[in-house]
Amino acid sequence: MIADFLKDFYVGQILMHLLFGAALTSSLYYVLAIRGKAEALPIARKIFHSLTIGIVLALCLNMMNVMTSNFNYTYVWSYSNKDLPTWYLMAAGYAGQEGSFLLWTTWVALIGSVLIPYVRKRNWEAEVMVFYSVILVFLLLLLVVKNPFAYIWDTFAKDGIQKGYTPLDGRGLNPLLHNIWITIHPPILFTGFAALSVPFAFAMAAMIKRQYHEWVNAVLPWTLYATAILGFGIMLGGFWAYETLGWGGYWAWDPVENSSLIPWLTSVALVHTMLVQRKTKGLVRTNIILALASFILVLYSTFLTRSGVLGDTSVHSFVDPGMFAYVILVIFMSTFIILGVGMLIARRKDFFVSTASFAPQSREFLLSIGAILTLMSALIVLLGTSYPLIAEIFGMTKVALDQGFYNSIHLPLVTVILIVNGVSLVVRWRVHWKAKTLGSVMKKILFPLSLAIAATIGSFIIGVQDPWYIALGFASWFALFVNAELALKVVRAKFSSTGAYISHAGIALLMIGVLATSRYSVKEHARLVQGQPQTILGYTMTYIGKNQVEKERKDIERYHYYVVVQSKNKVDTVAPVMFWSDFNKRQAAFQEPGISWSIDKDVYLSPKILEMEGELPKATLKKGNTIALPTDTSLKITFERFDMSGMRGGPQNGGIRPGAVITVTMPNGEKKELTLFANIAMPSMETIPEPLMIPNTTQQIAFTKLDVNKTSLEESGAMFTFYDTAKPQSAPKEVFTAEISIKPLINLVWFGVIAMVGGFFVSIFRYASKKTPIERAENADNTEIKEKAEVPAEIEK
Amino acid sequence: MKLRYIIGSVIVLIFGVIAFISLEGSKIEYTNIASAKESGRKVQVKGVWIKEKGADYNSKTNEFSFSMRDEQNNETKVIYQGARPNNFEIAESIVVKGRIENGTLQASDILTKCPSKYEGNAEQLTNSSK
Repeated sequence: MIADFLKDFYVGQILMHLLFGAALTSSLYYVLAIRGKAEALPIARKIFHSLTIGIVLALCLNMMNVMTSNFNYTYVWSYSNKDLPTWYLMAAGYAGQEGSFLLWTTWVALIGSVLIPYVRKRNWEAEVMVFYSVILVFLLLLLVVKNPFAYIWDTFAKDGIQKGYTPLDGRGLNPLLHNIWITIHPPILFTGFAALSVPFAFAMAAMIKRQYHEWVNAVLPWTLYATAILGFGIMLGGFWAYETLGWGGYWAWDPVENSSLIPWLTSVALVHTMLVQRKTKGLVRTNIILALASFILVLYSTFLTRSGVLGDTSVHSFVDPGMFAYVILVIFMSTFIILGVGMLIARRKDFFVSTASFAPQSREFLLSIGAILTLMSALIVLLGTSYPLIAEIFGMTKVALDQGFYNSIHLPLVTVILIVNGVSLVVRWRVHWKAKTLGSVMKKILFPLSLAIAATIGSFIIGVQDPWYIALGFASWFALFVNAELALKVVRAKFSSTGAYISHAGIALLMIGVLATSRYSVKEHARLVQGQPQTILGYTMTYIGKNQVEKERKDIERYHYYVVVQSKNKVDTVAPVMFWSDFNKRQAAFQEPGISWSIDKDVYLSPKILEMEGELPKATLKKGNTIALPTDTSLKITFERFDMSGMRGGPQNGGIRPGAVITVTMPNGEKKELTLFANIAMPSMETIPEPLMIPNTTQQIAFTKLDVNKTSLEESGAMFTFYDTAKPQSAPKEVFTAEISIKPLINLVWFGVIAMVGGFFVSIFRYASKKTPIERAENADNTEIKEKAEVPAEIEK
Repeated sequence: MKLRYIIGSVIVLIFGVIAFISLEGSKIEYTNIASAKESGRKVQVKGVWIKEKGADYNSKTNEFSFSMRDEQNNETKVIYQGARPNNFEIAESIVVKGRIENGTLQASDILTKCPSKYEGNAEQLTNSSK
């Protein structure tokens, strides 16, 4: 009933157009509000909140379509099917481009509605929200073009699909996405992307209002939130790759990974430069530019990964609807670059004022250096990821970059970053150059430094001996011990100020994990014969058998392959997975690794294939085919024809007994005709062969399977097995082939990122509730605030 | 000049130089089979798997072998150390990274390009309703 109503009135598509119009109207009213029409402000606000409700409704509508398997919608048909469990149906809601744009837009709208009271309280509403609404205008324009509510008969109209046609089943979701981590990854990543709209809108507002300090305090908690959540989302992607894809790693410098890493790196730099401005009023320009850049890089990353420009060698390989979305993405990106750069140029005079120099042993100085180093990393990744595109634009030969490019630069770069990470936290804000302060800094780092040297010597003894890895290891230990010591000192007194230490220690732990897993993992290719223990990389491993799981699902056939992994003090059973799915017509298996987790390392089994060993050789022949006997090549056999004369019974009474007539050619040219029979039970097709000896030889031959061709009996084949009675064989056994690797300290990778994210969240509470020294000074003298509002440029001369 | 600008420039300069040097060493050219044969360098070749010639994984040698055809209709045998890549059968094209030695493309990496958007066509639409 409701479905019919929706179908006839194109409710979903009309809703998208209405929302686009609403976003446009809201932006216009905010413009009017800036222009001094006070009555426009509440209207703009109301429209914005209704917009949010509308977008949430659209998201629910799409979810409802997917959940109810309404294959009238092209989107639902493209990304789901009836056999999909509920949890993955939800994932199908944003597995496609249309759905993921809708999810992103929903987050932007929701964050916007939370932002409104926040900026209203600070009297920044119109200036911030006008740019924020414009972001929604573009996102909704994209959704108008690529909306998840297109009907299948409109998408395939030229193929003659009639209105109202409903496919019986959908195409299904890529089985690689049937995983909890990849299900929660996009919603989390998109929250981070959406939250980066806030610093952008604030930076633009700051330039409109020509107030260059207040915004930094207001937006800092939002920037921290965006950075934390984006970092967590990126890690979940890596965890999914490790846990599901089975290639054994978590990061491959893939364009899709890189494109979310770049805005994350710039927002990390932004957090630090904002802290500097809070304390010193310096880095005004830097903060504006970084806030603009982080958001524009989110758009650029969407462009890189969604438009198909990096798809493969042929850059422009998209069809019309893709082309249109591509153009909108380019316009989207260009508009915000022009807006940002235009505002910067318009306000250039405000920025040409000299700011204070930072003394080299002050925290603000080291944080600036840290930010430069982090931005260097962002620039390298940006350059590397865009390189095929740059080469294309400049007409050079098409090239891609090897992963070695990123690794070789980041090894020294991260080492320096970690040293700065450690030292920056022991130096103090706003100190002036004095030789004795240097001595006090040395005194402070002496203890963590000695611990780091000890740990580096320790790791050297257990095998970390390449010069660059010694350096990276030392830097990580140093950063870890400095932060751990500081965190322990303040944790009792003031928990909320441990955020920075927790995050910085997390980064150090992450890098120790990265170092250990990337350089000191070992692997071995192994064929495990069922029931036979083998020693691999110091473990005793035994493949014990397989078991089908999730039998209730008709679209996949999924097996666990159990391997017992035994070390001196632990016995564990892991279950790597191989499954066959209708998604690729069951042509080949999808593999998932089995992992034996322990605190210090993982044993990682990546399945390759399951084979039978000790099976009799076999061959399928069609009429007239001749082969040499696999067990004695001096003999040849030719399959002549089927012999149905000896058929006994039939499908009605349980079985058939077809015969296969073959000619055996002896080494001397003599020919003998034999008829082999097989008893086939119906309908199971289970076959019991009746083997025969070839006279005067030790060779036995059996007709073991009827290879039926439905269209013609002439084309049907017969399968034969061969057995040399002179060489008796044991029963066939399963052989499970896997790549087995040991991943030392892999848990530090996950734990490090979680600590870093946790630290960010602790800091959010710290900065959201705290007034800055500048604010405190301003509050002390209210008249000064009023005066300041009149002064165009707030920057101190 | 402020000290942080000087140090900043030095950082940019040093890592810029490192980046430039490793950039040269890390480039992998997109090319076809003919020129890959000629150069013998590590390259990326885009093409399709020749289904009729099959594909086989040998668990004893840990080698996956198949034949591919590039856009110029040249063919080559490909050997990859490892198992059959995910989505190999449904890929509309493949990109193989590696070098050609003795007429065989020794692959270090195989990317499978899946038809991602609106992969469906009308034929599948009606098949799925049977």
